[in-house]
Amino acid sequence: MIQKIDAKKMVVTGDYAAAYGALLCDVDVVAAYPITPQTIIVEEFSTFVNDGITDAEFIMVESEHSAMSACIAAQAAGARTFTATSSQGLALMHEMLSIASALRLPIVMPVVNRTVAAPIGIWCEYNDTMPQRDSGWLQMSCEDNQEVLDMIIMAYKMGEHKDVLLPVMPALDAFILSHTVEPVDAPSSDEVLDFISHYKPHAILDPDNPMAIGTFTPPEYIQELRYQHHVAMNNARKVIKDVTKEFAQKFGRDYHGLIEAYKCDDAEVVLITMGTVTGTARDIVDEMRAKGKKVGLIKLRFYRPFPIEEIRKIAENVDAIGVYDRSISYGTGGPMFIETKNALYGMEKPVVNFLAGLGGRDVVKGDVEKMFEILLKAKEGEAKEEIYWINTRGVSI
Amino acid sequence: MYEIRFHGRGGQGGRMAAEAYALAAFLEGNYAVSFPFFGAERRGAPVRAFTRVDKEKIRIKTQVYEPDYVVVLDETLIETEDVLEGLKENGMVIINTTKKPEEVRLSRPVRCATVDATSIALDVLGRAITNTAILGAIARATGEVGIESVEKAIIEKFGARLGEAAGKKNAEAARIAYEKTLIGTSQGGKAFVPKKRWLPDVNELPVGGAIGTLQTDAGLVGIGSFIENKTGDWRTFMPEIDKEKCIGCKICWFYCPEGCISMVDGKAIVDYDYCKGCGICANECPVKAIEMKREVRI
Repeated sequence: MIQKIDAKKMVVTGDYAAAYGALLCDVDVVAAYPITPQTIIVEEFSTFVNDGITDAEFIMVESEHSAMSACIAAQAAGARTFTATSSQGLALMHEMLSIASALRLPIVMPVVNRTVAAPIGIWCEYNDTMPQRDSGWLQMSCEDNQEVLDMIIMAYKMGEHKDVLLPVMPALDAFILSHTVEPVDAPSSDEVLDFISHYKPHAILDPDNPMAIGTFTPPEYIQELRYQHHVAMNNARKVIKDVTKEFAQKFGRDYHGLIEAYKCDDAEVVLITMGTVTGTARDIVDEMRAKGKKVGLIKLRFYRPFPIEEIRKIAENVDAIGVYDRSISYGTGGPMFIETKNALYGMEKPVVNFLAGLGGRDVVKGDVEKMFEILLKAKEGEAKEEIYWINTRGVSI
Repeated sequence: MYEIRFHGRGGQGGRMAAEAYALAAFLEGNYAVSFPFFGAERRGAPVRAFTRVDKEKIRIKTQVYEPDYVVVLDETLIETEDVLEGLKENGMVIINTTKKPEEVRLSRPVRCATVDATSIALDVLGRAITNTAILGAIARATGEVGIESVEKAIIEKFGARLGEAAGKKNAEAARIAYEKTLIGTSQGGKAFVPKKRWLPDVNELPVGGAIGTLQTDAGLVGIGSFIENKTGDWRTFMPEIDKEKCIGCKICWFYCPEGCISMVDGKAIVDYDYCKGCGICANECPVKAIEMKREVRI
């Protein structure tokens, strides 16, 4: 249980916002391995425990793999759990991610997007979370620290929904959110607990009522379990929309579901972004609109489940679509670009990919402007390439 | 193309038999494929292996459902399941048993070859590993491969693993089995109640596969289902405890992987409903009070 916490305005880092979100959700168990590339999310939480604000069990484990293992076990015993990780840590955790999701344990784990080595880098790149695509988690990305806090709260409600029962991985850009302070509106603990309601596990490890979870299972059953998992991920689409709507009604901040369309109504070209570049792109859209250019923006919030219908609907009315990616599937293109092309299958629209900000390189206004300029050319059928490496020395665009 | 299905128990070497048979067929210029199917069962659990032989390259990768031949390495298996399931009309079954073909009762009368591979293995190898002896019987009964090729394959395959001398011993077991194989026709009429299996659809299967004790049409499943699913019939050898010799040290109780030994009045007692006959207790007993005896079931 947590002590009653009043609503307040704070100026905090994304890390703190994530930890504070978990605090407000009254998590029972937090397991973490505190070493680089871990961020201070779990350290912040350990302070809450130390200060007696929460009586959550804080488990110091010996690796990220063990952190997820501990969360899985605790969640299977009926606890609400939380952990956080980053880059190599997430890679090490990979094996356990599939176990958490297939056992249908709605753990929430913010991931601070950091470069996966080699070479060693601690800055923002999505090559840690993107390869987790098929691990069966809900995956999304935040634009600012307010969204980080709000998303942790919504993540528990989405993941714990009886039609979903899946773990959720909200991502936040390294440094750009994790280590950046900005104002965040924090609701009271009463409001949050009223919103997410009590966690009702679908199965509990209980010695008095024995239960086998995740045991050896022959081929006669696994395919049906995979189908259930697939259906749950599809169900998440509606649950995500419902939860964001309910959140907007209760807290006044509307995140619009799986995507947010920004000035797309009469747009000729739209750019799809994820994470913090979205904020910069909003400014560019406004500036270009002021010059009479009909450009729009899709803020892709969820990567899994992927918002296929939402993107198709907008694409119907535009002449070219650009996809910004912060990681690369070598020899093919950015992961979001691949997903978008899949979503737009059968629609004869030019789709181009922009790679920028890899390894944490700052994505500046000029970079985003360049993306829109290329998109406007693509609209006229004048795009030379399908994949553009923005601001990459020796690569002409 | 012809297909063989091997029925054995974990540890009897059914898989090695299927592979060695494929090698023998290969040595005669055929294309041959062999593969096992088993789960996490340990020694004693029913396991299956398959072999396909053709003149041409075999492309199909499914399990074998309508075999031309069925090979049974363990006699007890013909009591618990219909080993003839899917066997082609004019197919043949080769069984390791002390019985003559005419004394074997199966679900229907069928061409049948029998050989006491267990006795041969005990005589020649000193162990009841019947997988090489049975290969000689297959060669004799089916005529699909020559005994010379079987011997060569055994020496190559088993020799590489166990040493040349052991390879030759195993080839000798196959040769003796070849000579002793009886060919005839089995009796039919044995009724098998098809074992019901729990096959829930996507709506019936518990979320995430989390399962307590479930009463289903197919009986108990999940936690505690061992009450119905006894494993005593997996045994080929049964431990017999000499109470005079037993000193009640509990070493067998400690080592038994199945928890089948209990102590009554300071002496070890075996639960034969679940004992799989692994022999660890006999091996560990410091006063040799436990003897593994070949089990004969009627």
